[in-house]
Amino acid sequence: MDAMFQAFGLVFTWQVLTTVTAAALFGLLVGAVPGLTATMATALLVPLTFFMDPIPAVGAMVTCAAMAIFAGDIPGTLLRMPGTPASAAYTSEAYAMTRKGEAERALGACVLFSALGGLFGTLVLIFAAPALAEFALSFSSQEYFWMAMLGLTCATFIGSASPVKGMVSLLIGLLVATVGLNNASGVPRFTFGSTDLMAGIDFIPAMIGLFAVSEVMRTMAAGAPSWDNVQVKVGNIFRDWGGMLAHYWRQQIRGNVTGTAIGILPGAGADVAAYVSYAISRRFSRTPEKYGRGHVEGLVEATSSNNAALSSAWVPALVFGIPGDTITAIVIGVLYVKGLNPGPTLFLFNPQTIYAVFLIFILANLLMIPLGWMVIKLARGLLRTPRSILMPIILVFCIVGAFASNNAAYGIVVMLVFGLLGFFMEENDIPIAPCILGIVIGPILEHNFITTMIKSDGSLLTFVNRPIAAVLAVALALIWASVLYSTFRKRQEAST
Amino acid sequence: MRFSDTMLGIVLLFLGAAIAIYARTLPAVPGQQYGAAAFPTLIGLAMVCCALILFVKGWQAGRLPLVARTEWTRQPGALLAVLVTILCIIAYIFLARRVGFVPISFAMLLVLFRLLSVSWGKAIFFAVAATMATDYVFRSLLLVPLPFGVMPRLPW
Repeated sequence: MDAMFQAFGLVFTWQVLTTVTAAALFGLLVGAVPGLTATMATALLVPLTFFMDPIPAVGAMVTCAAMAIFAGDIPGTLLRMPGTPASAAYTSEAYAMTRKGEAERALGACVLFSALGGLFGTLVLIFAAPALAEFALSFSSQEYFWMAMLGLTCATFIGSASPVKGMVSLLIGLLVATVGLNNASGVPRFTFGSTDLMAGIDFIPAMIGLFAVSEVMRTMAAGAPSWDNVQVKVGNIFRDWGGMLAHYWRQQIRGNVTGTAIGILPGAGADVAAYVSYAISRRFSRTPEKYGRGHVEGLVEATSSNNAALSSAWVPALVFGIPGDTITAIVIGVLYVKGLNPGPTLFLFNPQTIYAVFLIFILANLLMIPLGWMVIKLARGLLRTPRSILMPIILVFCIVGAFASNNAAYGIVVMLVFGLLGFFMEENDIPIAPCILGIVIGPILEHNFITTMIKSDGSLLTFVNRPIAAVLAVALALIWASVLYSTFRKRQEAST
Repeated sequence: MRFSDTMLGIVLLFLGAAIAIYARTLPAVPGQQYGAAAFPTLIGLAMVCCALILFVKGWQAGRLPLVARTEWTRQPGALLAVLVTILCIIAYIFLARRVGFVPISFAMLLVLFRLLSVSWGKAIFFAVAATMATDYVFRSLLLVPLPFGVMPRLPW
C-alpha cells in the first residue's frame, strides 16, 4: 500500500502530467496521419526520452502508443486509409458507415470502446502481472529460453501471410542481434574490425530506419500525393453512446477478452488482435450479412480488442522482459536505458515504479476521450496538411533522433542501412515485425541457451526436465504443429 | 525492385552459407560444446533451409523474371525521388560536422520540398521554421550536441 502512495506521488507531478499530455497529443497527431504508425510514433519519441526521468519517459511512451492506436481509426473512418495497421482490420467497415452518413457514430464508437478496451487491458495488467512475476521468480534459464522461443514463434507465424517470409524476417533480426561483443564468451562477431560495431547494432536508429525512414522513402517515391479532401462533417460523437453500450456489451467484453489474451502472448500485438476480433465478431454475429456495409457491431469488438491488446502486451514485457509486440519491444530498450531492467525482480525492488506505470495507463485511457474528441474535431484540418511538407520534416527528425541515440554519425549510418532494408523488405512482402522482435529477443534466446548448456555440460535434455519448461516446450510444439498443419491444408485446398 | 522467390532463395542461400562459414572461424570456449559460433551457425543453416523452401515455391510458380520492377518505379521521377532522399542522408552523414546542422538541414529540406514541388516561398518558410524548431528542441532543450560547423551558435 505504501508503494501505491509513492506511485501517486511519482505520477501527479507537473513534469509527468505535462509530459504525458504532450506525448498524448503527439501520439494522436502521428496516429491520425495515414502511413505513420503507432510504432513509428513510439520510435520517434525514444530520442526524447533519453533526457527524461524514468517515470515520465515510460509514461510518455505508454500514452503515445495508446493514443496512436486509437487515432489510427480517424483517417480509417474518414478516408478509408488506416492510420496504423491495427485499424486496418475494420477500415472498410468504418468507411462504409461514413458513406452512410454515420461518421460520428463510427468515431464515437472508436473513442469509447478504445478507451474501455484499454482500461480492461490495464486492469488485467495490474492484476496478472504481479501474480505472474511471483511465479516467474522460480524461472531459470530453461524457462526463459522457451518463453523467448514462444515469442519468436508467435511473432513469425501469427497473422503472417507467408510463414517463410516471416521466418526470413526473423532470421535477419536474429543475425543483427549477434553483431558485437555482447555474447556469453565475449568474442567479437561480425564486427569486421570496426570499433563501432563492437558494441552491437544500436536498436533505436535501427527502429527509426525500419519504420520511419522506409516510409518516408515510399512516400517520396509516390510524390507525396495529397489525400482526398474530407467532405464529411462530423457531428456529435457522444450521441448514441448509451445505446451502443446497452446493445453491444457482449461484443465489447468478447473483444476485450480476446484482445487481452492475444496481447499477453509474447510476440503478438494489437494488429493481430484487431483482425482476430473482427473475424470472431462476424462469425458469432446474428446479422453477419450486415458486415462490410457499415455495421457498428464488428467495429465495437475490434476497436476494443486492439486497445486491450496494447495494454496487455506489457505483461510479458514487464514480467519476462520479452516483448508482446513491436511497441513493447521499443519500450524494453528504454526500460534498460532507465535502469528499470524488466523481469520479475522489478516488481520486488521497484513496485512504486510499476504502480506508477499502471496509473499512467489508466490516466492515458481516460485522457483518450477528451483529447480524442478534440482531434476528431480538428481532423478535417489535420488531414489537409500536405504530406509534401510533412515527410521531409519527418526525415530531419529521424536523422536527429538517430544521432541523439549515441551522439555520433554512426547512428545515422545504421538508420540509413535499416531504412533501405525496411524499404526492400516491404517491396518484397517480407513483414518487418518479426525482424524487430528478433533483434530484441535474439540476445535473450542466445544467452539463456548458452547458460543452460554450460550448466548442463552440453546435455540438451535439460531443456525439458523441469516441469514448467516441459509445459512451455509442449505448447510450442503444438503451435508449430498447427502452423504446419494449416499450411499443408491450405496447399491441399489450393491444389484441389 | 521485387525479387522472385527463386532470387530471394539465391540471396539467402549465399548469405546463410557465408554466415555459417564465418561462424566456423569464431574461437570455441575451451571445455564447452557451445560457444560464440553456435548461434550464428544455426541462423546460417536456418537461412539455407528458408532458401530451399523458397526454391521449391519459385519452381512451383513457374518461370518468372528473377528481378522485376515494381509498379511505382515506372512513374516518372519516382526513382529519382528515392535516390535524392538517400543522397540527402549520405550528404548529412559526411557534411554535417564540417558545415553544421543548421545549414545542412535547411539545404536538405529545401531540396526535398522542391522535389515534391512545394512552391519556393512555402519551401523556404518551412525549411527555416523546421530547422530552427529542431535546433531549439534538440540542442537547447535536450542538449544533443548537434554539430555547429561554420554556423555561429544561435541565440537560444
